[in-house]
Formats: sequence, structure tokens, C-alpha cells
Amino acid sequence: MDTHTPFQKLNLRDHILDSLIAITVADIAATGATTCARIGTIVAATGTIVATAGKWFSKIQVGGKQMLFPVLNLENPSSLQPDKGKVAIHVDCSPSAAPMFEGRGGEELSTELSVALQHCLLGAKSGAGAGIDLSSPIVAEGKICWDFYIDCLVVCSDGNLLDALGSAIKKAALSNTGIPRVHVATGALGDEKPEVDISKEEFLQFYTSNIPVIVTLTKVGWHYIEDANSEEESQLSSAISISVNRK
Amino acid sequence: MEFVSPEGLRLDGRRPMEMRQIRAEIGAVAKADGSAVFEMGNTKVIAAVYGPREVQNRTQQINDQALVRCEYSMANFSTGDRMRKPKGDRRSTEISLVIRQTMEACILTHLMPRSQIDIFVQVLQADGGTRSACINAATLALADAGIPMRDLVTSCSSGYLNSTPLLDLNYVEDSAGGPDVTVGFLPKLDKVTLLQMDSKLPIDIFENVMQLAIEGCKAIANYIREIMLENTKQLEYRRGI
Repeated sequence: MDTHTPFQKLNLRDHILDSLIAITVADIAATGATTCARIGTIVAATGTIVATAGKWFSKIQVGGKQMLFPVLNLENPSSLQPDKGKVAIHVDCSPSAAPMFEGRGGEELSTELSVALQHCLLGAKSGAGAGIDLSSPIVAEGKICWDFYIDCLVVCSDGNLLDALGSAIKKAALSNTGIPRVHVATGALGDEKPEVDISKEEFLQFYTSNIPVIVTLTKVGWHYIEDANSEEESQLSSAISISVNRK
Repeated sequence: MEFVSPEGLRLDGRRPMEMRQIRAEIGAVAKADGSAVFEMGNTKVIAAVYGPREVQNRTQQINDQALVRCEYSMANFSTGDRMRKPKGDRRSTEISLVIRQTMEACILTHLMPRSQIDIFVQVLQADGGTRSACINAATLALADAGIPMRDLVTSCSSGYLNSTPLLDLNYVEDSAGGPDVTVGFLPKLDKVTLLQMDSKLPIDIFENVMQLAIEGCKAIANYIREIMLENTKQLEYRRGI
């Protein structure tokens, strides 16, 4: 697998060990570590469970982790960057995944995962290196754009959440999303809110081919393994997460 | 607005005494000691039970019985409008308390002193009757975890709109502002363990509405029993019996 593509510095926190680790790619190349590649099975069940006002729902199961994802579209007339849509990613760890997530226990991990995914999919603050093409959610430049909310819920966790979330977002949620076609009434003047007609029949496909895939390698003893489960994660000495896109 | 048409059909095509389609699945969360998914129409809920295990907070330990804790949370995307804060708001705290009291009444807590049983309920999709679906899912999850109980707890809601008692309200009927009666029921012992009502009703109509909810509970109990039998057969089969 190519690892020369944009390296994103990601923080991956192990559930049991309290350690924040960031490692550069050069280190791995230097040590010449052997990689044990063992990819867990990915089973994705997608489907429209509730399709009201642009809400799509899909569930993905990766190894022992289950995540649920909706991609909720809301039309929002504001836009700070006139030619881009808006995407917000939020991760929530349900206490059913682990008792320690009850109350505010899961907040730290949720925030970390959300930020990591945001970096990965939306690039830096200026928008450079973004995975999701932000010009597709535009309806009327400068006036109206689509607001995407990607909400993830971790229901059952068995290690390696970041990988599962990444592939779930790419495969299950976004590829299943259709943006309804919107007709804007012409002749809207200046700052007036233009008339919009949201079509319930026609949908535009959301392009997911540029969205990166996240792979986490954890170092256990002298070996690097992929897709670690919780027992393996509890023994890790370091881990690196890399998000790789098509280029 | 008309909730029951002159032909006697509700907004989603059901008859007034008809419940939504129910579906349950045991063992959704592999990591939990017991778990279940329960669907009532479009309302979908996951319950996970961890326990009995050691009490995390020593000050809360009870010396002669188990401590039962419950947390109810709704996913961001469960309702039509995206929710900002899934936990910690008043409604969630109230429902957590209600579910805890309901389940505590039927768990044989004296058999597990100085231990803790955690029930976590997560709403994935909310379309009215989340409280009931949560209690039903919790019952299945507790049974899956092997926690001793006096009886199954089943729950169903009913209401009264357009002068008709309606069974199993969905979101639209629930938000109509009419009375909403939620009943938690122990079918074998024939006892009511939870009774909540919004709005107001004359007492004789209330008795009818409550009786309707109890009938709904009995129907759900039958279904839950079937699911549990099926699950046990699967377990036996896997063990090679």
C-alpha cells in the first residue's frame, strides 16, 4: 500500500492506555519494520431506513465494531466561503460500546475521533488536501449551499475505531447519499433569499472516489499489525494512522 | 387535525387497536453481557447490559442488594431535526430514571449483593414510544445477560384522540397534544410496574385507555417470549445439544 500520499498527523488514543502518540512516516521507513497485514472482514449493510427530508442511514460492521451513520443534509443559506459547501463530522461513543462511555466518559474519545476524521476528510483549515469535494454541495454560489452533517455512533467497540469510521464514512454513508436536485428561481435580487424548490425525485450522486481510507498500524512487540482488536490494542507500544487517497 | 378517519383508519393506515410492527433481536452488541435491539414501527432502540459486576463507586455500594443503573441516550440523528446534545438533558434524565425504577422492581437484586448492573439504552430512531421500546429492549437484554428477574417487563403506550382510544402512538399522534399513557406491565404476575400519563383524561376513559395499553403489553410479552425461545434454541444448537 502506498504511503507517500499526504501524511496526516493523527492522534489515536488507546482505550486502556493513556498515551497520545504521533509518529512520522520516516521513522517507520528507517526502522524497516516488518508489517503483519491482517485485514479484518468488512461487512457493510447500507440501506435507507428513514428517508425524511434528506436523511440517509447506513450501518457498517467492521470486525467487531458496529457503527451507525446517517448523513443528514440541511440546506443552509449562509456560506463564509462562497464557493464551498459545509461539512461537519461528529462522532459519539455510545455507552453500550463500553461502560466507561457513560455520561461524559466518552466525550474525550469522541472529540479526538471527530477531529481526526475532520483533518482527514476536510484537510487543513484552508481546505488544502481535502478528501471531500466541497464544491458539489453548492446550489447557488454565494447564497445557498448544502450543509452536510455526518454523525457517527459507535455502538460496539472492539479496537481500531478510526479505521472502521473512515471506511464506514466512505463506503457506507457517503456513497449511499443522494443530494436532491434543487431548482433556484431566477431573478432573485441581491440579498433576497431566493425561492428554492427541492426535488424529491431527482438525486445527484455524491462523489466518493477521492475520499481517503484510513489505516492504523499498531506496534506490538517487534511487529506492526493492522486492524488490532481491543486485546491487541491494550498491548501496543505505539500506533500510526495513515489516511491514503487515490493519488 | 383528523387523526382517525371516518372509516376508522389512522394516519399510517392502522386501526385504532392495532400496534405497529415489532421486531426484536438478541445479542446485537457482542461485547456486552447482554444486549438486544427492539423495533416498534420506525422506533429503533439498542439496549446493552453490563453486569453484575463490581461497583465502580464504593459510596454507592449497597450491602444487601445489587445497584441498578440506567442511562438513556438518543443519537444525534434519531429524530427528524438533528439534536445538538444527545445526553444530559432533562428528558433523557427523566427517562433514565423511569427505566431504572421499572427494571429495578423486577430484577431479583437481593441475589447479587454489593454488585452493579448497568443498563444502557441508545435510541437510534425515534418515532414515538421510545420509552416503551427501551423498556422492552432492556428486558430482552437483561434476559440475554442471564440476570434473574421476577418476570418480563413489557411496555406499551396508548392515547385518546378524536374520541377514540389508540394503541401504540407514533410521533405525529404523540405530538398532537392529546393524552399519552405509558404502561409497564408484568404479564405473568399481572401487575403494573409503570404508569405515566401526559395531559388529562376523565377517569372512566382513562380506565379504557389503560386497559388497551395493558393488552398491548400482553401481546408484546408473547412476542418477546417467542424471541427468547428461538434464541435459546439457537444457543442449544450451537452447543451441540
